[in-house]
Amino acid sequence: MNEFVFQVSDSIDHIIRSIPLFKVEFALSFGFLSSIVCTLIFDKYWKHSSFFVTILSIICAFLILMTQHDQSNFGFYNMLIVDKTSFFARAFISIGLLISAIFLQQHFANKEFKKRKGDLYSILLAAGIGLNLFSMTTHWLMAFIAIEMVSICSYIMVGYFSENKKQAEAAMKYALFGSACSAVMLYGLSLIYGFTGDLNFASPKHIQGLIAAPEVMVSIAILFVFTGIGFKLSFVPFHLWAPDVYEGAPTPVTAFLSTVPKIAAIVLLSRLASAWISTPFYFSELTFMFISFVSIVTMLAGNLIALRQTDIKRMMAYSSIGHTGFLMMAIIAYSNGQQNILFFYVLVYTLMNFASFAFIDVLEQKLGSTQLSSYTGLGKKMPIIFTCFSIIGISLIGLPPTAGFIGKLFVFSSIFEIYQYGGDQIFLWLLIVGALTSVISLFYYFKIPLFAFLRNNKEENIENINPALSPMLVIGVILTILVVLIGIFPSGVFGVISN
Amino acid sequence: MGALSLLIFLPMIAVIGILLLPNRMGHSFKYLALLATVLQFGLAGYLYINFNGSAGAFSEVSTYQYVEQLPWIRLDLGSLGKLEVDYFLGVDGFSLPLLLLSAFVMLMAVGASWNIEKSKKGYFALLMLLNTAVMGIFCALDFFLFYVFYEVMLLPLYFLIGIWGGARREYAAIKFFIYTLFGSVFMLLVIVGLYFSVQNPNTGAHTFNMLYMMNPENYVPGSFFDFLGNANEIFGIPARMIGFIVLFVAFAIKIPIVPLHTWLPDAHVEAPTPVSIILAGILLKIGGYGVIRICLGIFPDAAADANWWLGLIGVVSIIYGALNALAQTDLKRLIAYSSVSHMGFVLLGISSLTAEGISGAMFQMLSHGFLSAALFFLVGVVYDRVHDRYIYNFRGLASIMPKYTAYVAIAFFASLGLPGFSAFIGEAFVIIGTFNAESMNTGIPRWMAIFGSLGILLSAAYFLWTLQRMFFGTTRLKGGEEWVKELKDVNIREQIILFPTLALALLLGIMPSLVFGVLNNSVLSLLDLVTPYL
Repeated sequence: MNEFVFQVSDSIDHIIRSIPLFKVEFALSFGFLSSIVCTLIFDKYWKHSSFFVTILSIICAFLILMTQHDQSNFGFYNMLIVDKTSFFARAFISIGLLISAIFLQQHFANKEFKKRKGDLYSILLAAGIGLNLFSMTTHWLMAFIAIEMVSICSYIMVGYFSENKKQAEAAMKYALFGSACSAVMLYGLSLIYGFTGDLNFASPKHIQGLIAAPEVMVSIAILFVFTGIGFKLSFVPFHLWAPDVYEGAPTPVTAFLSTVPKIAAIVLLSRLASAWISTPFYFSELTFMFISFVSIVTMLAGNLIALRQTDIKRMMAYSSIGHTGFLMMAIIAYSNGQQNILFFYVLVYTLMNFASFAFIDVLEQKLGSTQLSSYTGLGKKMPIIFTCFSIIGISLIGLPPTAGFIGKLFVFSSIFEIYQYGGDQIFLWLLIVGALTSVISLFYYFKIPLFAFLRNNKEENIENINPALSPMLVIGVILTILVVLIGIFPSGVFGVISN
Repeated sequence: MGALSLLIFLPMIAVIGILLLPNRMGHSFKYLALLATVLQFGLAGYLYINFNGSAGAFSEVSTYQYVEQLPWIRLDLGSLGKLEVDYFLGVDGFSLPLLLLSAFVMLMAVGASWNIEKSKKGYFALLMLLNTAVMGIFCALDFFLFYVFYEVMLLPLYFLIGIWGGARREYAAIKFFIYTLFGSVFMLLVIVGLYFSVQNPNTGAHTFNMLYMMNPENYVPGSFFDFLGNANEIFGIPARMIGFIVLFVAFAIKIPIVPLHTWLPDAHVEAPTPVSIILAGILLKIGGYGVIRICLGIFPDAAADANWWLGLIGVVSIIYGALNALAQTDLKRLIAYSSVSHMGFVLLGISSLTAEGISGAMFQMLSHGFLSAALFFLVGVVYDRVHDRYIYNFRGLASIMPKYTAYVAIAFFASLGLPGFSAFIGEAFVIIGTFNAESMNTGIPRWMAIFGSLGILLSAAYFLWTLQRMFFGTTRLKGGEEWVKELKDVNIREQIILFPTLALALLLGIMPSLVFGVLNNSVLSLLDLVTPYL
């Protein structure tokens, strides 16, 4: 009993020492609670109060995060890690949350609902907490809690304002698919815990346990675990939910779902890959082969299916699946020590994706449709939107002079470097498929300028569209300018990421 | 800011001006574009006159003139080494004539766009953006910079064909884009490979500098594209050969070679006249220039091994293009196929790896540049008037459009290689070079020269036959009296464009030394690079 008493004080000391690591999430949690209070009480007096509390808490969290720059620390018994990776991941997540919050506010500003709109902001913040934890851990338990936290928030966001059957169906599909994947992942985790007796996947004990475990069981356990991560990242074959959900969800929610959770999931997978791939044993090879193979298949499937889409949101869903495949190539680079390349690509992807959804939302509010054919002949009427949208498309393909090109060049470079010294054929296939899918993606991204500029509208009934200056449009244009600037002068941004 | 930067970014100033001016000042756009291109042409001419080609190694900066080098991107990529991208411009005997040609053809294109009515702002802005990209391609000596300009060039062309083109413009525009992009993304992989294989001898950093890539001493021993003792293979083919093939395919799509030429007739037929002029006059030359500067310059060893195949592809393109041209009934398509045939000579000349052959190839590029531009312009003249260019719909045009007929006849005779015109010099030198190649042991057999000359014969056949079908005999038009009214003879503006072009063809046919003088040293230094590997 006495021993236990000593441990208690030690533990408390440890926990108290760890608390500063958690201050960013504290800020978000405080924001979460106050935004609920605002929704319940103050929104009656000032309808924007919950929105401003949300924005304020995200900015506070971001500023507090800046103090953790250059910090490298573990806390809560290695449950949380503060390092370069989690710093950048949380920085990008904060930017994503901020933009998402503004999108949500703008999108629902002119709509009337029986439900309280403010609830959405508190859910967004809760998702933010989950995402931060997601990117700060190498502990399976923490990772699972984080995944669940993000997933539940996402289900609510997708289904909260469902106006018709299709949206309700999307929410339902998402929840069912998500729960099934979590269950499978949990089962895999329990197997892995059984083999290793340690839930920290970067710990030596964990890796020794995996080395000693029988090959068949390890394969099953690892594949089960990847199911859960695969659901969040939507790589093949766990991508099936993405198109329906992206199409059914309100556009700002789609923008959020296709970008921010991906950052966190990519970070977790990168941590996993760099912890596991380095050994010469069976499970390392399996992990590596799984990531490379899935990367190739995801790039091909995402881009090929995107060719046949007629709805821009559905098309962007497949495009984001294709980009997941490319991000997995960057994970292989990450596990070989090229961390800044992954950060750079993730940042660029975040900018591009938010920009494209900003334009999609502005257009959706004007035209009431997300069909590509509804853009027919609008290039002359809304030149700014469609010029910027085309530039973002060019960046998503990976053509110069845009940031997408620099990102692709870096990823190709890092993979080529590994190929040059390793000589494994799989790297060559990664390069070839990566290049080939860029060509394929040209077809569908160029549908935007094709409809907007090349086709002429027969009916002239859209005269009344006057391109008003909305904050969404401004954000989209700023992001586009950033994408071009980073494309021409990548040194500055890359310098920040490298240091 | 140096002269070459000014040359590249003059059109950009015009773009900004055009974008800033309000739409109601629509007439001023073309004058702005004209001003920019005239200044550009003057500047290019000035550079051309003041160029003194010094003999030097192909990979030495001192061989190049008007050099500008500024650090552009400097990144520390950890284990990937330091990334070094320079804003590095310079010209030699290969690029300078092509720069002058581009400025000239751009001037023609602006002249040909005088009557464009559909969204002028976008049109002239895109045209000038294209102009910038094209100039950049010919000036860039850094592979990264080259690639950026190369890709930037595709975007305005897509829109120029896609928005201002004919009935099947969407198809033609995307086909053109996909073909070129397919070549260039794989080119990007080779660029990445070269980047890891080459080191800047001064700083030890990896570099995209093309001149460093041309010098075997700068290659990292054991790297993927290492020059000597390289045992790397991809699918059983040596790494350096793969690099050469990938780059060659990327540029061969532009030239275009048979069987990668199918985008060309579609793009030409659908494109508006000025864009056709640019396509034929400049863009095809980028392919030939790329083969010379990059494929031969960076992979001379692989080029020396592969030149038999290059020659064969050239001969096939000459014959196949000419036979196809014989079968066409659309005048614009006929000229498009004649381009395929004439650009085959360029490839044949390059593959001969003799001084005559390469000089002939360059000369052929220049001559084809303005002659094909003139031919497309001439097609545009008829098309503008009656919106038809089906050969059998016209007969006996000579009696209603005598001046036009004279211009067409001169352009046709010049193009088919009549002595006294520039095309003759180009084709003759290519044939001489190819014929001599066997005695120089470069691996090109004599029968290729013989088949090449067969191509000249065929081009005489399709040009003269077309002349006979459309212009001679009694006047019989599909549109009857209405067409006779519409078909007015060439006006002053059209003559201002046509006359200098055809005069130039004659001038260069009589005084080829105007080009050869600039060209010669560069050809010799290129050959110095390649011949040790034969």
